[in-house]
Amino acid sequence: MLLEVRDLHVEFRTRDGIAKAVNGVTYAVDEGETLAVLGESGSGKSVTAQAVMGILDMPPGRITGGEILFKGRDLLTLKKDERRAVRGAEMAMIFQDALSSLNPVLSVGDQLGEMFVVHRGMSRKDARAKAVELMDRVRIPAARERVKQYPHQFSGGMRQRIMIAMALALEPALIIADEPTTALDVTVQAQVMDLLAELQREYRMGLILITHDLGVVADVADRIAVMYAGRIVESAPVHDIYKAPAHPYTRGLLDSIPRLDQKGQELYAIKGLPPNLMRIPPGCPFHPRCPMAQDVCRTDVPPLYEVSGTRGSACHFWRECLHA
Amino acid sequence: MPEQPYEPEGAIAGTGMGGAMDLGASEAVSLEKTPGGPDGTGPADKPRSLWSDAWRDLRRNPVFIISVLVILFLVFISLWPGAITSGSPLKCDLAKAQQGSGPGAPFGYNGQGCNVYTRTVYGARTSVTVGVLATLGVAVLGSVLGGLAGFFSGSWDSLLSRITDIFFAIPVVLGGLVLLSVVTSNTVWPVIGFMVLLGWPQISRIARGSVITAQQNDYVQAARALGASNSRLLLRHIAPNAVAPVIVVATIALGTYIALEATLSYLGVGLKPPSVSWGIDISAASPYVRNAPHALLWPSGALAVTVLAFIMLGDAVRDALDPKLR
Amino acid sequence: MGRYVVRRLLQMIPVFIGATLLIFLMVNVMGDPIAGLCGERQCDPATAAQLKKEFGLDKPVWQQYLTYMGNVFTGDFGTAFNGQEVTELMASAFPVTIRLTIVAILFEIVIGITLGVITGLRRGSPEDTGVLLLTLVVISVPTFVTGLLLQLLLGVKWGWIKPSVSPEATFSELIVPGLVLASVSLAYVTRLTRTSIAENKRSDYVRTAIAKGLPRHRVVTRHLLRNSLIPVVTFIGTDVGALMGGAIVTERIFNIHGVGYQLYQGILRQNTQTVVGFVTVLVLVFLVANLVVDLLYAVLDPRIRYA
Repeated sequence: MLLEVRDLHVEFRTRDGIAKAVNGVTYAVDEGETLAVLGESGSGKSVTAQAVMGILDMPPGRITGGEILFKGRDLLTLKKDERRAVRGAEMAMIFQDALSSLNPVLSVGDQLGEMFVVHRGMSRKDARAKAVELMDRVRIPAARERVKQYPHQFSGGMRQRIMIAMALALEPALIIADEPTTALDVTVQAQVMDLLAELQREYRMGLILITHDLGVVADVADRIAVMYAGRIVESAPVHDIYKAPAHPYTRGLLDSIPRLDQKGQELYAIKGLPPNLMRIPPGCPFHPRCPMAQDVCRTDVPPLYEVSGTRGSACHFWRECLHA
Repeated sequence: MPEQPYEPEGAIAGTGMGGAMDLGASEAVSLEKTPGGPDGTGPADKPRSLWSDAWRDLRRNPVFIISVLVILFLVFISLWPGAITSGSPLKCDLAKAQQGSGPGAPFGYNGQGCNVYTRTVYGARTSVTVGVLATLGVAVLGSVLGGLAGFFSGSWDSLLSRITDIFFAIPVVLGGLVLLSVVTSNTVWPVIGFMVLLGWPQISRIARGSVITAQQNDYVQAARALGASNSRLLLRHIAPNAVAPVIVVATIALGTYIALEATLSYLGVGLKPPSVSWGIDISAASPYVRNAPHALLWPSGALAVTVLAFIMLGDAVRDALDPKLR
Repeated sequence: MGRYVVRRLLQMIPVFIGATLLIFLMVNVMGDPIAGLCGERQCDPATAAQLKKEFGLDKPVWQQYLTYMGNVFTGDFGTAFNGQEVTELMASAFPVTIRLTIVAILFEIVIGITLGVITGLRRGSPEDTGVLLLTLVVISVPTFVTGLLLQLLLGVKWGWIKPSVSPEATFSELIVPGLVLASVSLAYVTRLTRTSIAENKRSDYVRTAIAKGLPRHRVVTRHLLRNSLIPVVTFIGTDVGALMGGAIVTERIFNIHGVGYQLYQGILRQNTQTVVGFVTVLVLVFLVANLVVDLLYAVLDPRIRYA
């Protein structure tokens, strides 16, 4: 396995109390594999990714338990400098809002070239040439001229391509993309997503795709991990999930996608709100919103039941759900 | 003495004279939604208003409590200086000139043989009076002019902007020297008048900015669309939301006006003897500083503590009202 | 860019006229412009009338202003109370004040920015709280008190410096006066840098820089500082004008014969020509400094485009 996250716990100390953002997340990605992590905002999907990258704000964040194994080494036990050398070179991250994630006062060439200067000790001139090459790679037209331009001079889609180029620069083994297309126009979304998928296949990288958009997932992901209140509630190969979800939350998410064949019908919505992370309900955290909840759900936290060899569900009634 | 007007820190970048920095400002706003924390730590359960939230913060802030206590004490001794002193601040005895502390005179005597303790206590009245009245004048004039400019915009707004530019181009102490050097009346009024004359543009800029911001709120737009009258819009919807920055800046300005009065009195154009003012006493004590440093240090200390109290109060209120810093 | 500069220069004209007219009116209408011309005595009515005629003071104020400005633009600033040309006074006073201002600005840059960066990076730490309180104290203590206290301690008690500055006013003599002049702005620069650093530290592009695996010093100097210092540079730029006009108190305390000293003398002796002349130049310096700052802003932040 390229990356294995085991029983990760993260909390945040805020002025109002301790928010338990991640509560025992376990997932794995292999080379050339795409794992989609799905969940509403506040489900802990981004926090988990930030913990993997080692860019969590600490404080207020704190990793209180678990392991992050990358190529067999536990990243959490590495020294600061060793950890830094992994970031960017062996794993890279693509952020949601490319405009605010790129430095507004440095040219894109400088920002791309910086990867080579810092990690590879290249001269500025060579790094500049590499930057042009990368921009060509992600199909930015007139790369040689535009390398001197600043982020605000690019369109949203082009900016996100620059983010991708930056992540790709040192050909890392793992890329984490945190909602890479959410901030883009629908037409551009597909182009950027296709480019990312194509490059991933080409370099055989592991890809963690964080999203709340089930539509994106179906095309590119191999596996899906659904998160709720800092936990994985369902983990399965992508086709199994679309065929028959084994968790009522996943079912709710799938039912809330608008479909052409249901035109005119009322769209399904999961009732209620995600829980306050400072007061996660006892038992199954989803029970207050769950249409299938029984007494046992209010008292016992469901473990990740094994549905099949490749599939797990954290629902006491996964069988009923699967056949509903 | 702060020669340049105090601006809340975020605003300084925008004090260029043209409107050319609007882009910078809007970028700053868009950068505000920094994630970093857990994605949505969840809203607190019961809604809290800006003011009640700020008050909850302030009650626990030692800086706020200390400055309020100091200010209450200052107000008390300005109203009843006799409560903690005996004798008149004008009763001086040259025979005691430059003496150290003695019975009834814990701070000693100054170069003219006046009781430094009594004079320092009585000096508070001048400072507090000038500070409070000048701030009231500046706040009222500045908010009305700035608020109207922000609300009606157009030519009235650009005219006002040009006028404030003119006032900002004149150094404050210099303006005070020129204007007050020809005044013969020895009351606090010319000093206060001068401060209002040169101070209002500072508040008017703040008020203009916050009215423009408040106006962009959806509920204000909605009220306007529903046909609310201008006066109703201004008084009920905009003013309550635009007033916080003005209060913060005015509180801090109060401190700087007290310092300005002392500076002008020190330069000999503010209040003149026989008025009692810390600035006058500090000026009078400076030639004797080798032999009687206490005559310089006590009024200086009182002045510094007073200004500090108001500036700390404003600072604490600003921090409490600024949700960005949470 | 060129068109922007032209527009800004045009915009400066009304402000320049307004500010100088305001001072001209203050001095001429409120005061008695010939009071200083007969020495210590009051002028007798006949002499007064003659003097008024000689200086064109019997004409309406707006006409006087126009005449004066006309002269100024041909380089004639009039004569001071002792018969010296005002331009001569300027030639001796401005270099001194410019040196004083340079010292003050250097203090702002070196001490202010350093303290601001340190505290901004460690917000909430004991050193942050300490520096923050210190800046509040510095802002609160009026410059003349700071000046007198430093003069008392360093000059009188410990004898480290001469309590008053010689007429040559060399850089080394101006270190302490420059610190006094800078003190309040220094505190503002510290606070502004701190806020700016602390705000930008949480920004997305700094997170990106960390995710790129850059060493901490590179994240701070190349990414964080570049962005955070933009407002600080603007503040320091605008401060040049404010410091030169605000040196009156400092120059009086340390007996420095600069612009502030000449202005103070001019005001006390009600010498119209000196006061209006110096103020005119100061207002110009202020306006030009502001323009330069706005242009500098465009250089530092590529997002700003002036059209």
